[in-house]
Amino acid sequence: MSVKEEKKHTINRLKTMYPLRAHVDESYRKSLEATKEGRPTVWSMLAWWEGDVILKAMDIEVVYPENYATVCATQGIAQSFLDRADADGFPTHLCGYSRNTFGYASRMMKEMNGEIPPEAPMGGMPKPVLLVASNVVCDARYKWFQALGSYMDTPVWVLEMPTPGVKEYFMEGANDRYVKFISRELTEFIAYLERLFDKKMDWDKLDETVRLTEEIGRVWHNINELRKARPCPMHSRDFWSSMVPGLFLMGDLKETLKLYQDLYDEVKERVDNGISSIVGEEKYRLMFSELPPWHTLGIFDKLAERGWNFVMESWTYHPPIPLDLDGVSNPIERLARFCFQYNIGFYAGAYEDGETYGYQAYPHLVYARDWRVDGAFLHPLVTCRSASTHLPYARDMLMRKLSVPSLMIEGDIVDLRLFDPVDTMNKAEPFEETMNHYRQVRKERGFDW
Amino acid sequence: MSNDSHGLARAREIYKDRTRRAKELKLSGRKVVGYMCIYPPLEMMTALDLVPYRVLGDMREAITEADRGLPVAFCPFVRSCLDLGMKGEYDFLDGMVATHSCDAIEKTAHVWERAVSHPYFHFIEIPTKVNARAEEVFKGELESFRKTLEVFAGQELTSEKLKKAVEIHNEQRALVRELYGLRKPDPPAISGSETLVVLKTLMSVPVDEGNELLREVLSEVKGRRNPLKKDSPRLLVWGSIVDDASLIELIENAGSNVVVDDTCVGTRAFWKDVKATDDPLDGLAHHYLADIKCSRTFFEAEGSDRGEAVKDYALDLESRFGYLKDMAEGWKVNGVILQSVKYCDTHGFDVPDVRNYVTSLGLPSTYLEHDYTEGSLAPLKTRVQGFLEMLG
Repeated sequence: MSVKEEKKHTINRLKTMYPLRAHVDESYRKSLEATKEGRPTVWSMLAWWEGDVILKAMDIEVVYPENYATVCATQGIAQSFLDRADADGFPTHLCGYSRNTFGYASRMMKEMNGEIPPEAPMGGMPKPVLLVASNVVCDARYKWFQALGSYMDTPVWVLEMPTPGVKEYFMEGANDRYVKFISRELTEFIAYLERLFDKKMDWDKLDETVRLTEEIGRVWHNINELRKARPCPMHSRDFWSSMVPGLFLMGDLKETLKLYQDLYDEVKERVDNGISSIVGEEKYRLMFSELPPWHTLGIFDKLAERGWNFVMESWTYHPPIPLDLDGVSNPIERLARFCFQYNIGFYAGAYEDGETYGYQAYPHLVYARDWRVDGAFLHPLVTCRSASTHLPYARDMLMRKLSVPSLMIEGDIVDLRLFDPVDTMNKAEPFEETMNHYRQVRKERGFDW
Repeated sequence: MSNDSHGLARAREIYKDRTRRAKELKLSGRKVVGYMCIYPPLEMMTALDLVPYRVLGDMREAITEADRGLPVAFCPFVRSCLDLGMKGEYDFLDGMVATHSCDAIEKTAHVWERAVSHPYFHFIEIPTKVNARAEEVFKGELESFRKTLEVFAGQELTSEKLKKAVEIHNEQRALVRELYGLRKPDPPAISGSETLVVLKTLMSVPVDEGNELLREVLSEVKGRRNPLKKDSPRLLVWGSIVDDASLIELIENAGSNVVVDDTCVGTRAFWKDVKATDDPLDGLAHHYLADIKCSRTFFEAEGSDRGEAVKDYALDLESRFGYLKDMAEGWKVNGVILQSVKYCDTHGFDVPDVRNYVTSLGLPSTYLEHDYTEGSLAPLKTRVQGFLEMLG
């Protein structure tokens, strides 16, 4: 079966999503021009706003090797970089994105004298002046930049973000201790950037950037709230298409905020008029966990044809639950609290529900319960353990707490062959029977969906 | 202890049936607390008369339960630990202390807390970098740990008790270093696999019993007729956890002497003493964050955190792995085996850097990877033999 050949119009894409995508393309183009003109560039891990807000406020150009690895994978160039990483002695089980970066850096530094390799897609990544690493979610995202030291003389800054245990977080003084630590680290980071770039931080601009980031997060959160409606007005495909500007703070943030507000308005209008995000009847409401198979997104059209509406995605790429920061005037502390909220925002619920895996896993319970989900499509990624570790816990919890079944289909972030769309479609019908069965079980347990 | 054997024989008995002593102690009324990694400060448990017991895996036991809690493509050692926990092998533990030492341990801790029930569970967050700010927040974590531990133990953890516990654990560290010192001559007085048996035993009994055992082992080894072969290649083994003597035996049986290691059932927990400080938590916070040289920590050259503009790779390697030079010189090492379980990210990322560093010392190296099963070791034999042939 070829998913592409049989593609039909089965998902009602949001019109306001397209300007957001165009906004990303335009921002990327401008960034590329700036780096080609020789503006110093930082390579950064996705840091869930912690470093991005500060770099943005200082007008420093940032490229994201994680994203770039996706580009290399989808354009078929990744394998040559992976081979180089293997030859340089990196174990093959390491994160596929990191191995792509090692191969890229190896090619650039060993054979191109620091210039962008000609085969690099989308203009490539110029040699950075700084590597901004993050310890959020996985070890790879600081060890990877540390290991680039064998290729380039670029310094590394690691952004710290604590990940406490659920019940330990509620011990006296813990939250303040973490916020103070993050704030002090960010203060040092700014001082370091000022020295490295010989440029002073504009504190008013930082304050504005923090507040705009919070506001984007708030609107984005409210869009997700609207998706609780039946039928769901916004499909996961539209989420994936629109998440990038908010997650990576691309382009002018006032414009980004406006585009998210437009998105909110359109989703709201759909809710008011009972318009679904799939063309046919919404027979099953599903959530999707972790990154989707980017190269095979057409499978969601096929599943929509069967009445599967994807109404929510996993925690990883969503904004933090809004926080009241009215009493906090220091922009660094505001940023620290906002970013920390991403990690611990679900802890109170987890504590109340007696769950111990409070960040990656527990939000599945909230999403399934509040978005009235019939099933979870879990997509473990072979070379991205951080995106996969919590999935067995989530599967067990959803069944134990809510009698919501999961369909687990393996894939990868770089080796695109690992996701099998034919096998997935073959599993769709049996999984529908499973979802039907558990609807009955939930009714017997007193749930209302 | 419950039998009359001494020294190495006693260590071997405990190694083969390592839960027995812990269960005896539990029956006698002591509380036994598990820990999966060397980062929880054992001194805090010892000070409250608790028995720290290291949770380890079993590479001979097929994983049948852990799939319910962890994915297959995941640190096989940690999967094995969880598997044993889910099968009830660690049900005798009264508590469990977990740390954010690496992703695998941190994420598994949350699964463990839910899937393996103990009366007490505490999770300690650990910063990634080493600096004064990190030490301060880590000390705060230890303060929280102290509070829950006091409630669990039913007594106050005073500075005096803690200082005494630091002393007795430092005594153990010194005894272990003395044992490693016996591996400096050629031939070494005790093999690498024998040493691993002893160290694993130390992680299975209370510290005072461990110290008594170490003194017996030292006395025995110093007095015995040396069984090892002279002029064999002298190897340093670096990498992720080795908690089963069979890998070291494989390397030694191929015709080498493993004279020193940088692993976590090896030197890492014992190489440096905890400094005596007015508030003992200061010394513990510094030691457990800065002194343990595990790949999980982002070590950097002095001054980097204060704003270097260009990274000096040689200096970076020296700051991260300089202790390997001391080991190589002190133990007259002529080859290095880098080894790791599959899916260990922190060590995996370090492999090229460690290789580059030991190469800069003039030491040849090879990298071995296995999936923490007995069967996965056999294919490594040829690799080891080839490496030893290269060393001549």
